Amino acid sequence: MLKRPSSRRKSSAEGINLNLVPILDTMVTLIGFLLFTTSFLSIVHIESPFPISSEKEMEEQLKEKPLQLTVSVHESDTELWSPFEKFASKKIPHALPGQPDIAGIHSGLLEIKKLFPNETKLVLVPHAATTYDVLVSLMDSARAVEATDAPIFARNPQSGNDEAVKKLFPEIIFGNLLSAPGGDS
Amino acid sequence: MAFHRSIRSRRGRRKINQVFELQLTSMMDVLVIIVVFLLKSYSTTINTFTTVPGMQLPISRSEEMPPESLQVIITPEAVTFENERILEFVQTAASLDGSGPSYEFRKTDLDEGGRRIVPLYDALTKARDKAELLRAKSKTRDEKGNPLPFEGVLAIQADKRVQYETVRRVMYTSAAAGYKVFRFLALKKE
Repeated sequence: MLKRPSSRRKSSAEGINLNLVPILDTMVTLIGFLLFTTSFLSIVHIESPFPISSEKEMEEQLKEKPLQLTVSVHESDTELWSPFEKFASKKIPHALPGQPDIAGIHSGLLEIKKLFPNETKLVLVPHAATTYDVLVSLMDSARAVEATDAPIFARNPQSGNDEAVKKLFPEIIFGNLLSAPGGDS
Repeated sequence: MAFHRSIRSRRGRRKINQVFELQLTSMMDVLVIIVVFLLKSYSTTINTFTTVPGMQLPISRSEEMPPESLQVIITPEAVTFENERILEFVQTAASLDGSGPSYEFRKTDLDEGGRRIVPLYDALTKARDKAELLRAKSKTRDEKGNPLPFEGVLAIQADKRVQYETVRRVMYTSAAAGYKVFRFLALKKE
């Protein structure tokens, strides 16, 4: 005949059962609130002002002859140039039809940044058929210095030290906003 | 036989007397992980930008989060301003064979040589007047005691397929209505 287990031993082996139900209630409420308020798509922006120029400014510009780095996207290539010929213009053929070579443009802009490390402005002249996707990629490549890029140093006027630049040309304006539809420039 | 019967009856009695307890520990583990994940991805900044169904935003490496502002949404089907569809595009014949853009403006929607979008200009002007009226009524003033000037910032959210020609028209129209700063919205690259 089997022996009945001792009731004393059984009671000592029993652990304390924590009542998890209120914690569970709190957790479920918290998850509900977080799911309702969390935005999983994080949206970022690239700012660009509308170009405003007066006759006085134009006259001063003509006297000073600034760099006025311009990136013109044509049907088959992209051109990096300066209206005052501060550097030799460069044409970069598209990687695919209608798709500018973003990596090529970025390396071209890096070379220009090396020559003019304190310049921050860039004029973008896209082709009428350029898609918004390409437009954002172009602005990204013109604004940011990638981690894999060779460092470019610029003199900080406040400290007098040479510091690595963190942005290429962050101030982007569109150069053909006032031109007639279908026109590039 | 009697022995077997007695064991069976004893087991049955035990089952009836036992209190059913749900094991919540593993469930708690799962919930804690979910809460930690949600808290990590929780953004403290309130994003008021909405989107429309079927919209494909491009991806950007920009890190700047857009502050609250008026927004225009451009898709290959329509232009929406502040959640109100203000104009619809017309499908082109070129869209059938893919040789050209899939949409175009109605001729009645454009003026100034095709550069200005009339319904958008009207909506933007209305929104600007409203903003200026609110600023005039507000107690917040600048140093000279004048109402704060209209900021004129417009967020542009466009589908990745939308062409620059359309974006340019929107920018031109916005500038004509007094909006001089544009914020191009995109999805953050993770």
